[in-house]
Amino acid sequence: MTSLLDHSRGETVGYSFSQSTAAPVRQHGFYPYTDNGGSTLGITGSDFAILAGDTRSTSGYNINSRMVPKVFKIGGEDETGEGAHIILSVVGFAADGNALKERLDAVVKMYKYQHGKSMSVSACAQRLSTILYGKRFFPYYVHAILAGLDEEGKGALYSYDPVGSYEREQCRAAGAAASLIMPFLDNQVNFKNQYIPGSGEGHALEQKKAEPLPQETVKQLVRDAFTSAVERHIEVGDHLQVMIITSNGIEEVFHPLKKD
Amino acid sequence: MDKLVAQYSRPQHQNDFYSEAEQQELTEGMPPLSLKFALPPVDNRAAFLRAMTDDHANPSCPIKIAHGTTTLAFRFQGGIIVCTDSRATAGNWIASQTVKKVIPVSRLSRGEDKPSNEPTPGLLGTMAGGAADCQYWLRYLSQQCTLHEIRHKRRITVAAASKILANLTYSYKGYGLSMGTMLAGVTPQEGPALYYIDSDGTRLPGNMFCVGSGQTFAYGVLDANYKYDLTEQEALDLGRRAILAAMHRDAYSGGFINCYHVKEEGWVHHGFDDMNPIFWKTKLDRGEFSNVTSEL
Amino acid sequence: MNHFPEAWGRPRDDVYGAYNSSYLQTSGPKTHTSSPAVTGTSVIGVKFNGGVVLATDNLASYGSLARFTDVKRLRSFGDKAVVGFGGDVSDMQYIDRLLESIDIRENYSTHGNMLNAKNLHTYLAKVFYKRRSEFNPLWNHVLVAGFDGEGEPFLSSADLLGTTFSAPHLATGFGAHLAVPILRRVFPDEKPIEEISRDQAVAALKDCLKVLFYRDARSLDKYSIAVITKEGIDLKENEQLEGQSWAFAERIKGYGAQTN
Repeated sequence: MTSLLDHSRGETVGYSFSQSTAAPVRQHGFYPYTDNGGSTLGITGSDFAILAGDTRSTSGYNINSRMVPKVFKIGGEDETGEGAHIILSVVGFAADGNALKERLDAVVKMYKYQHGKSMSVSACAQRLSTILYGKRFFPYYVHAILAGLDEEGKGALYSYDPVGSYEREQCRAAGAAASLIMPFLDNQVNFKNQYIPGSGEGHALEQKKAEPLPQETVKQLVRDAFTSAVERHIEVGDHLQVMIITSNGIEEVFHPLKKD
Repeated sequence: MDKLVAQYSRPQHQNDFYSEAEQQELTEGMPPLSLKFALPPVDNRAAFLRAMTDDHANPSCPIKIAHGTTTLAFRFQGGIIVCTDSRATAGNWIASQTVKKVIPVSRLSRGEDKPSNEPTPGLLGTMAGGAADCQYWLRYLSQQCTLHEIRHKRRITVAAASKILANLTYSYKGYGLSMGTMLAGVTPQEGPALYYIDSDGTRLPGNMFCVGSGQTFAYGVLDANYKYDLTEQEALDLGRRAILAAMHRDAYSGGFINCYHVKEEGWVHHGFDDMNPIFWKTKLDRGEFSNVTSEL
Repeated sequence: MNHFPEAWGRPRDDVYGAYNSSYLQTSGPKTHTSSPAVTGTSVIGVKFNGGVVLATDNLASYGSLARFTDVKRLRSFGDKAVVGFGGDVSDMQYIDRLLESIDIRENYSTHGNMLNAKNLHTYLAKVFYKRRSEFNPLWNHVLVAGFDGEGEPFLSSADLLGTTFSAPHLATGFGAHLAVPILRRVFPDEKPIEEISRDQAVAALKDCLKVLFYRDARSLDKYSIAVITKEGIDLKENEQLEGQSWAFAERIKGYGAQTN
């Protein structure tokens, strides 16, 4: 009786050696992610924050659409995002990005209804981190950047990795062309490897100190960063969506980019 | 049988949408403190997660998670020194050069951004390994410590805090967490106390730890020059020098040197300094790193 | 800890087993348990002044076999929207039942079925995303056509991963390679949809279907076409491709047994 049961458990009848049943069971070939390309970028100043992204959506070498915005208003009153005070950009897998955006939007709205005041940017930033970490074992395939104004009215920018580690920064580029844009930003925003001429000889040469840039300069930097990225990355192009958040609210503008 | 009948008689097409409860869960005000994590519905979750995120085994894996690198802490006569680098890498890409790898773990030190020369009471945690794992679980720990304070009207001991974290990481063993962290603090019960906790569930008390890919280089410097009787300044300098050595030799370490001193009244921040000028100063003024040429 | 510092803090083979890249499989033979069996090919759609046109052929293939030649892959939802299905036919029928039950439910309510194409698209995208998150995808790529809340023509796509995008003209499957370039040439981005007439749009889609029939081995010359305007849905399901010319076929050389 027992031997019958045992046979059914894999010990094969008739062999004196044990048969290996170690061949791994491969259950799923379904691959739940895709990369929709595109790039985003955020820079802050003393009284504003800018988030920008291109609007191209790709899958492989195909361009799905030339007009899929990646920057969203969070916690607004209606579909248009009127009255929002936080902006979010997501790049990577667009469906995950959308799910993330809608979830954060719902959270910020619920916060307002439950507490009778808007969520602060720092609170929202930490909440986004926990949302991302909640999917630690099945991550959202996105690089998120969150922007707004902090309690003192200064521009605030938070950048995230896919599972929710986050940091407040002056500037950050994410997505396909991050490796093209970020070094440019290091140099132009944080003045990395820029020195003050005549401040010393050799190793005594002094580093140029980073300070908040005026809005006009930053806008120009954003456009330069993207026009350059378009030249060298196939997944970036079509339109540049720029959102500027100041004490007067959020201003959104679109600029054309090359469409090749 | 009833179950079987129910399964096949149920109209398949009636509801394929998020249920009320699921929708509520997505928008609930509070984050899931009780460790409810979305798990991929596959047989071997750890293998799935690893396939998606392990950039070392497969440099072209789709999701690259930021990793931390060299951290150290040691006890000496004046308390505990905690030093870290500030680089985060995702594959070969330097994701950030300005990561704060020392994380205050205490209710009272929440205003970490406010500049202050006064010591801030509470514990310090360090991060190495997955940046998100460390940030999230130290935040979780911070919450537990605050609750402890409220319940017991006294600050938690480092031993107890480290045990919370170790129990936690042990319960997630095999899921693919990646963290190597140190907890440092001075409490009336223990004096200066230092613990090492990692994602395997290890928890060790000790006098000196270096964690991360640059650990060997840091140990080399610390072991050569460490004495218990170091003055505060000597101890800070030693910590910085050890991190500098690791930054120089380990590609995954670099950026800024972050330095903290934990003493009886609390912890004090001693600077977040660019490594480049410090490196040249160390070389030119003290004659170290003589294998590097100083010609420009 | 071993003497490979770059591996520290990362999953170890002795703890987690060897790195299993089968989860990443994107090329080569797929081994899904839930692989599509009977499939439909491209869906194409264009917006025009005052409406949207959507078209598919009437074929359901079983691998390379042209198995069912009168499968209607355009489904109307109430009298407001049309969904065009590519991909697995059984999943299409499942979604069709799903939509039907919603339509019935809505019509039992006091206000009748108020859902427009945009609402329908949002719903479908969420169903797709939910199912992909359960690793149990609905193997389809759909186009939804109709009108949005403002009464503007609406055309948008959703696929098995939950990815969504919209554009003035869209195509799924093989159509993304063959039809989109034609549509982009006939209706360039600069040309607003107000300048495109219904007849132009229908003619362009017929051209695309013809090219697809010439070159897509999984396609058919019997097709369905739906024109959605404010007046309602004009759905024709048994159309025949006209004006075919296979003269170009003689010039094709270098395939199979034919070597020169």
